[in-house]
Amino acid sequence: MATITQSIPTSQKPDHRTGKYLTFGLGNEEFAIQVMGVREIMGIQEITAVPQMPAYVKGVLNLRGKVIPIVDLRLKFGLPEIDYTARTCIIVAQIHNQAGKLQMGIIVDGVSEVLTLQGADIEDTPDFGNGVETPYILGMAKIKNKVKILLDLNMVLTAQEMQGLDGIAG
Amino acid sequence: MPQESDKTKTAGALAEESASLNPLAADPELLSDFILESREHLTSIELQLLTLDQDPTNSEAIHAIFRGFHTIKGMAGFLDQDAVRDVAHEVETVLDLARNGQLTITGAIIDRILESKDYLNRCLAELEPALATGNLPTPPDNSALLVAIRSMSAKPVERETSGGEKPVAPVRTVAIEAAAPTETVETATEGLADLAREVGKVEAGKAEVAKVEVAKIEVAKIEAGEVPTETPAESGAAAESGEGPKANVARAAGPRSIKVDTSKLDYLVDMVGEMVIAQSLVHHDPDLAVGLKPRLGRNLSQLARITDEVQRTAMSMRMIPVGQLFQKTSRLVRDLSRKAAKQVELELFGEETELDRNIVEDLADPLMHMVRNSVDHGIEVPAERTRNGKPATAKVTLRAGHQAGQIVIQVSDDGRGLDQAKILRKAVEKRLVSREAQLSEGEIFNLIFHPGFSTADQITDVSGRGVGMDVVRKQVQKLRGRIDVISKPGQGTTFLLKLPLTLAIIDGLVVGVGGQRYIVPIFAVREMLKPPEESISTLQGRQEMAMVRGSLLPLVRLHQRFGVQPRYENPWDSLLIVSESRGKQFCLMVDELIGKQEVVIKSLGETMANISGVAGGAILGDGRVGLILDLEGLFGVSNSE
Repeated sequence: MATITQSIPTSQKPDHRTGKYLTFGLGNEEFAIQVMGVREIMGIQEITAVPQMPAYVKGVLNLRGKVIPIVDLRLKFGLPEIDYTARTCIIVAQIHNQAGKLQMGIIVDGVSEVLTLQGADIEDTPDFGNGVETPYILGMAKIKNKVKILLDLNMVLTAQEMQGLDGIAG
Repeated sequence: MPQESDKTKTAGALAEESASLNPLAADPELLSDFILESREHLTSIELQLLTLDQDPTNSEAIHAIFRGFHTIKGMAGFLDQDAVRDVAHEVETVLDLARNGQLTITGAIIDRILESKDYLNRCLAELEPALATGNLPTPPDNSALLVAIRSMSAKPVERETSGGEKPVAPVRTVAIEAAAPTETVETATEGLADLAREVGKVEAGKAEVAKVEVAKIEVAKIEAGEVPTETPAESGAAAESGEGPKANVARAAGPRSIKVDTSKLDYLVDMVGEMVIAQSLVHHDPDLAVGLKPRLGRNLSQLARITDEVQRTAMSMRMIPVGQLFQKTSRLVRDLSRKAAKQVELELFGEETELDRNIVEDLADPLMHMVRNSVDHGIEVPAERTRNGKPATAKVTLRAGHQAGQIVIQVSDDGRGLDQAKILRKAVEKRLVSREAQLSEGEIFNLIFHPGFSTADQITDVSGRGVGMDVVRKQVQKLRGRIDVISKPGQGTTFLLKLPLTLAIIDGLVVGVGGQRYIVPIFAVREMLKPPEESISTLQGRQEMAMVRGSLLPLVRLHQRFGVQPRYENPWDSLLIVSESRGKQFCLMVDELIGKQEVVIKSLGETMANISGVAGGAILGDGRVGLILDLEGLFGVSNSE
């Protein structure tokens, strides 16, 4: 009955990138995250603000008795803040990092669909030059002439990074 | 011991064909069970040893101790923990002689067995981290101990004389599939059965209000139902294995209990909390208030009553009796009194009083400190006692009980008591108080908790108190409790500990600032007031102060701290909460008081662990999260600016 406690390491290997993805919109761009990590999707709700947090941390929410942090992905990616609409969603995802597992909600403009991506659909992230590092991008998928950016949520929302920002903010 | 290793090998081979070199790799769970079970056995062994100390002929106790060591030996052999096995084996040999009447138990033998027990505990402590790392540690050296024990069973023992003894079965645990080596709580089975019954009732109640379609409450109920319904079945298994060869005396005598993973228990408590919220949402639904039919109203109240009961039962499952903690001190008292050549009798009262498991764990150290102080310093040597007309045997009393919604733990001795004059003199020397200060008795006694008093060369040998007492107070405060001292010269000293029933719940005031709601822990609140305009003044045009009952208190605006848009900018429109932080009073300015609520404290998670001014989160009555304020943190930040 021994269980594997270690999280699966985030990997950049192409064969690990095939699978089902949940796509969502953010500004003019389409993003996708692996369905495996998604716990649920819900409409926007009242969020309790938490002081001394970076602006993209909107606060906390009660998810069936658990208090989970909520991150606005728009602000996280430096996009302008907009008013929430009926299409605005909170995607609750399971994040694995060094500290362990935690659930987190991310606010996106709206979710679109679930796609199955094959290895051939996925291209590596182009080199932007100038030392621009994009460790949180798994790759790019071209579906029906639209580019979807595949995100590694574990890298987008690491506790370390948030703690670092916490230090700056405090 | 060739026979011995042969024997354990066969036992091992019966259960598992190949004993792997590293049992950890084979089955970490087995090892974690071993640690857990051995600890239990060792605790019960200690208890029985102390009984034996009082009455060396108590064969029941000898048997119980023998069985404990025997089981540990069997498990250790199976898991290739040779050091543990050897020590257990030697002790077992001694005990075997004793139970066959070939050896008389003496104080020295008990000392040695206690030593062995401590050694095994050390081994277990070292094994524990190995569960995570996978590297087995080298056990502490046991050769000296082995020689010492062997010398006790001086008669040549050719082979173990335990022909009729029960087979060493591999450990069969009742613990419910512990996924990782996690802590478990023992919950009385009655509690679980109660809960299962209540959940059953809720299910029945649900059918009645089924017309009210509230998907949320169903979800909560079903999930809450999942956990308890499977547990009664487990308790059957517990009873079965209890009848097996390993049934130990303590377990057979006490109430039947099973082990449950604490994370499961926490989940249950969470879900029950959600159920209560969902229930209250239904109850207060505006659609229902219009033309509420009496039958539906009755059913709703029934549902409310049952959810309440379920919540209380779920909460009570985290509680364990304080007796285990008390019993640990009996060993300490025994050791200390022997060393100091004092005659001390320990009396325990209210052992059945239940406390939150976390509190019990954190209370162990302060309790040890207090008992040590009492025996070491409070109690006089027998000669001095008889000279003063007291019985030569001193008494240390531990007493637990409920009082006004709190747990009160009392540690008393009938020793020489605190010397006020000496404490005061030391305090003046240490410049803790001024020479002219007029202190009440209570204030003088409280000085012993001052960190300055705790250094070894200070007051210890004069007045008898002070070692680590500041640590005690700190720990007690961490548990949101308080400690008081009562002492009469020549008659003894009493420490009074007052603790909350549980750390998981606090009584809070819900206050509003702008659109946000916060929870202020009630224990931190002195008073609340709406100040008149003229009572507010500023210092250097910046720092605001309020005159409250003749003293000027600094004013902290919560909305400024947290960057929230408030409803009122003027302190005289707002509500001031007078609080105290590190002995200094201050006022916290909020918009309004919304109500009072008992809330379950939830962590905000690691990413938000260190926000100054925020102690955690709590689910409010409407299902939203409210932040629990940490008033010390709030005041600290405002002070440093």
